Amino acid sequence: MWRFFRKPVGEADLEEELQAHLAIETRQLMERGLTREEAETEARRLFGNQALVLEATREVRGHAGFTRLGQDIRYAARVLRRAPGFTAAAVLSLALGIGATTAVFSIADTIFLRPLPYADGGQLVWLGIRFPGISTEFLPSPDYVAWRRDNQVFQQLAATQTSFSTAMLLGTSDPVEVHAGRVSTNFLDAFAVTPAFGRTFTAQEELPNGPKAVLLMHQFWRDHFHARRDLLGSVISLDGQPYTVAGILPQSFVYPVDVKIDLLTTLPVSPTASHRDRSMSTWAVFGRLKRGVTMAQARADLDKLYAASKADFPQLFRDNHLAFQPLREHRAGNIHTLLFILMGAAACLLAIACANVANLLLARWSARARELAVRAAIGAGRGRLARQLFTEIALLIAAGTVVAMVFVAAALRAFVHFAAGQLPRLSEVSTDFRVFGIALLVSLATALVFGGLPALRAGRIDLQSVLQQAGRGSAAGGHRLMRRVLVALEVALSVILLSGAALLFETLWHMQNDHLGFQPEHVLTVSIPLHGPNGQNPARAELASDVLTWLRRIPGTEAASFTQCTPLVGGVGSRTFSRSDRPLPEPFHRGDNIGYCGTDADYLKAAGAHLVKGRFFRDDDIHHPDTVAVINEAAVRAYFPGEDPIGKQILGSGAVWRTVVGIVADAKNQGLNHEAIPEAFVNQTDDPQATRDLLFLVRTLSDEAAVARALREEMRADHAGLFTKVQTLDDAIGEMTANPRLNTILICTFAAVAFLMAMVGVYGVLAFSVTERSAEIGIRMALGASPRAVIALVVKEGAVLVAAGVFAGVAGALFLTRYLTTLLYGVKPTDPFTYGAVVFGLALAALAASFLPARRAAVLDPVVTLRHE
Amino acid sequence: MPDRVELLQGTLDLLILQVLQWGPQHGHGIGQAIRTRSQEVLQIEHGSLYPALHRLEQQGWLASEWKISEANRRARYYRLTPKGRRQLLEEQSRWKQLVRAVARTVKPVKE
Repeated sequence: MWRFFRKPVGEADLEEELQAHLAIETRQLMERGLTREEAETEARRLFGNQALVLEATREVRGHAGFTRLGQDIRYAARVLRRAPGFTAAAVLSLALGIGATTAVFSIADTIFLRPLPYADGGQLVWLGIRFPGISTEFLPSPDYVAWRRDNQVFQQLAATQTSFSTAMLLGTSDPVEVHAGRVSTNFLDAFAVTPAFGRTFTAQEELPNGPKAVLLMHQFWRDHFHARRDLLGSVISLDGQPYTVAGILPQSFVYPVDVKIDLLTTLPVSPTASHRDRSMSTWAVFGRLKRGVTMAQARADLDKLYAASKADFPQLFRDNHLAFQPLREHRAGNIHTLLFILMGAAACLLAIACANVANLLLARWSARARELAVRAAIGAGRGRLARQLFTEIALLIAAGTVVAMVFVAAALRAFVHFAAGQLPRLSEVSTDFRVFGIALLVSLATALVFGGLPALRAGRIDLQSVLQQAGRGSAAGGHRLMRRVLVALEVALSVILLSGAALLFETLWHMQNDHLGFQPEHVLTVSIPLHGPNGQNPARAELASDVLTWLRRIPGTEAASFTQCTPLVGGVGSRTFSRSDRPLPEPFHRGDNIGYCGTDADYLKAAGAHLVKGRFFRDDDIHHPDTVAVINEAAVRAYFPGEDPIGKQILGSGAVWRTVVGIVADAKNQGLNHEAIPEAFVNQTDDPQATRDLLFLVRTLSDEAAVARALREEMRADHAGLFTKVQTLDDAIGEMTANPRLNTILICTFAAVAFLMAMVGVYGVLAFSVTERSAEIGIRMALGASPRAVIALVVKEGAVLVAAGVFAGVAGALFLTRYLTTLLYGVKPTDPFTYGAVVFGLALAALAASFLPARRAAVLDPVVTLRHE
Repeated sequence: MPDRVELLQGTLDLLILQVLQWGPQHGHGIGQAIRTRSQEVLQIEHGSLYPALHRLEQQGWLASEWKISEANRRARYYRLTPKGRRQLLEEQSRWKQLVRAVARTVKPVKE
C-alpha cells in the first residue's frame, strides 16, 4: 500500500532515460575527438534545459484521468506526511471517536436490541414477584405450580433456579465439578428448543421421586465425553446419584440466565406444593405467550392469578407486587445504567474527536490560506483546488477508518474478555457495521463541514486581499471564534468524563481499602461438596473432623475452622430476629432479619475478625451445640440500641434460646459496596440436614496450591475420589470487585482519551494563535514588552478558554453524574473534593499545554517577525 | 549550416513512427535519425521529443523496454506496436494528402 504513496514509478525511469541520452551523446562527441569533460559539457548544452524536458514529459504522463486522481492522492499524502503532528492527531482522533462509539454501541445493540436467540423470541416473557424487603424477584414454588395449571395465556410456563448454577460432582475416577441448570420439564418447549440428539425431559422426571435425567450442553459433551453418540441412554453419576443421559442440546442453545451451565437436569416440581409446606423453593419463571395474546391480556390474567395467591396466604405477599416483562427487556436488566453511561461517554468522545478534527482542519486551512491563494494565482483552477483539499480530507478519513476498524476489533475482544460473566449475552457480540457507518458519517460530515467549507471558499478567495494580509494573519479571523468555542466544548466534555471517572475510581478505592472487618490475606477456603443423600451418612462428621486434623497438621497453618460460612457472606440463611424478653414476632414477619452462621471456636482467628466485647466460642461450647451466640455490631445497633446485649436470650421460642456471649466488629458481609447487615454466629459447626458442602476456613502461611496438594495426599488413602476446592479469600474478593473495576477501567479510559484530546486542542489553538499573532507580539516586544508579559498574554488567552470549558463542564457533570449514583459507594455524586481535584488537575494540564506556545512567543525575535511583514 | 525549419504541428508523431519502422531505437537515436535523414534540416527539440515518445507510448502505438545501449548503459528502446504500424500508414496517407493540398495551393497559377 505504501507503494501507492511513493514517488511515481515513471519518475526515476524518466530521469534514467534522459541520463542515457546524455551518455550516448557524450560518447559520440568523444569519438569525434573531444575530451570527456568537453564532451559532457557539450552534450548538456545540446540537450538544453533538462528540468524543462522532465517537466513536459511528466505532464504528458499525468494526463489520464485516473493518473490525475493518483496524483491528487499522492500530493495529499505528501502534504499530510509533511505535517505529521496534524495528521497523527486527526487520524487518532477519528479512530478513537469512531472506534469507541462503534464498540460500545455494538455491545448495547446486542444486549438491548438484537432479537433473542430463540424462535419467536418476542413471545417469551419473564415473570416473578418482587420482594422489596429482601430486594429480590422470584416466584415461590407453590405459586408456580398453581399458575402453570390455572393460566389462560401461556403455551408454556417454565421454571428454573434463580440466577446461579448448582455445582454437582461428576463421578468418574477423577471427579469434576460441573454446573447444572435445574429446569422444569417443559423448559425446552417454552424456548422452542429441540435436542440435537436424543429426547427432551418427560413429565415424570420433574416429580420429586421421579426418574432422574440430564441433557448435556454441546460443549460439555464434546469436552468430557468426546462427543460420543452411544452416551445417549447411558447412566452417569452426579453427586453419587445415577442420572440417565436423555439427550444433547444443540450447539446454538443459550441458557437464558447468564451463568455457566454444563448440563440441564430437572427441578423437583411437586404438584401438591402449598404455601403451608415447611419449605418452599424460589424460582425464576419464563413463559411463552399463546399466539395472538397481547402483553396487556397476559398481565390481566397474571393479576388474577396473583390475587388468588395473595388471598391464599396474605402474610407472604405483603408489600410485594407482580413483575412481568418481555424476556428481552429482562435480559438487558440491571446493566442498563452502565451501558447508558458508557454510551454517553462514547458519544462524548465522538463529539470531542469531531471537535478536535474540525479544529485541526480549520487551523490548517487558515494557515494555508496563503498557499492556496498563491496556487490559485499561478493558475490552479477552483475545482482543482477544492478537489485537492477534499482528497486530503478523504485520505484522513480513510486512514482514521482503517485504524478505527482495528481498534473496534481489539476493543470488543478485550471487552468480552474483561466483562465475561458480568454482562448478559456477551457471547453474541460482534462489530455492528451500521453503527460503524453512522459514526463514520458523523465524522465525515464534521470533516466536510469544517474542512470543506473553507476549501470551497478557497476557490473564491479574493487573491489580492489574502496575499496582502497573509503576513498579518487576519485572513483566518472568522474561524478564530469557532475554534475557541470548539476547544471550550472539548474541555467541558472532558470535565464531565473526568468527574465520572474520578467518582468511580474513588468508589473502587473505598471498596478495596475500607475496613473489611476481617483480614483476607493468607486465608483459604476449602470446600468439599458432600450434599445430597450421600452427605447424610455418619461418615460426614468423621470426615469433617479428619479434614480439620489434616489441615491443622499442614505446615504453615495458623488456624483452621470448620464453619458454615465465610466472612464474605452474611450467614448461610436469614431468620426473623426474636428475643426472650419481648413478644414473639408473628410468622413471616418481615424486616427484622438477622443472618445466622454456625461456626467453631477457631473462626475468629482464621478469619482475622475482631472481638469487641465479651468472648467468642470456646472449644467446650461444641459439646452442647446451638446454645450460645456472638452477634455483630450491626445487630447490636439494630436490635439492642442503648442496651448491653451480653447475656440476653435471642433467636428462639418457648424454652429454647441462644445466649449472647460476645460482640464482633462488623465485617463486609453483604459485598464490598454495602454496609454490614446484622449477623449472629452460633456455636454449631454442621447443619443437621447436611444439605451443604463441608466448608473450612484456614489461615495459613503456605499457598493454596501447597495446601490443596497436601490435603489431597492425605485424603487419597481413605477418601479416594472425593473432590476438594481450595480458593483464597482474596480471589473471592477479587471476583466481587471485578464489576466495579470494569466500570472504572472503561470510564477512566474514555476520560483519559478525552482529556488528552482536549489538551491537544488547547495546545493547537494557542500554538496557532501565536503563529497568527507573531507580528503583533513582535510589535509589543519592540515597544518594550518583557518575555514575561508575552507569556502572560498567551497563557491568559488559554485560561479564558479553559475556564469557560471548565465552568460549563462542572455544571454538566453536576447534572449528569447523578445517574451514576447506583454505581457509587463511599462517595457522593456531588463530592466537592472530587470536582476540585478534577478542575485543579485540568487547569494544571491546560497551563502546561499553553506554556509551550507561550514560551515560543516569548523567544520570538521582533526584528525577524517585523521584517516578515 | 543549413537552414532550420520549424516542424509543422502534428508531424513529429509521423516522423517518430517512420523512424521506428526499421527497428527499435532509443530517444537519442530517434532524434539523430530524424536529423540525418532530413539532412540536418529538422532539429528536434528534446523538450518535444520525449513528451511525444511518452504520449505515443500511452496511446499504445509504441512499446518500450530497457536494453544496453552502445554507451554501455541501460537505455529505453522504443519500438512500433501493430497498432502503431496501422497508425503510421494512416499518418502517411494523411501526410501525402496534406502535401498534395499544400502543393496545389502554393503552386503558381499558370496563365
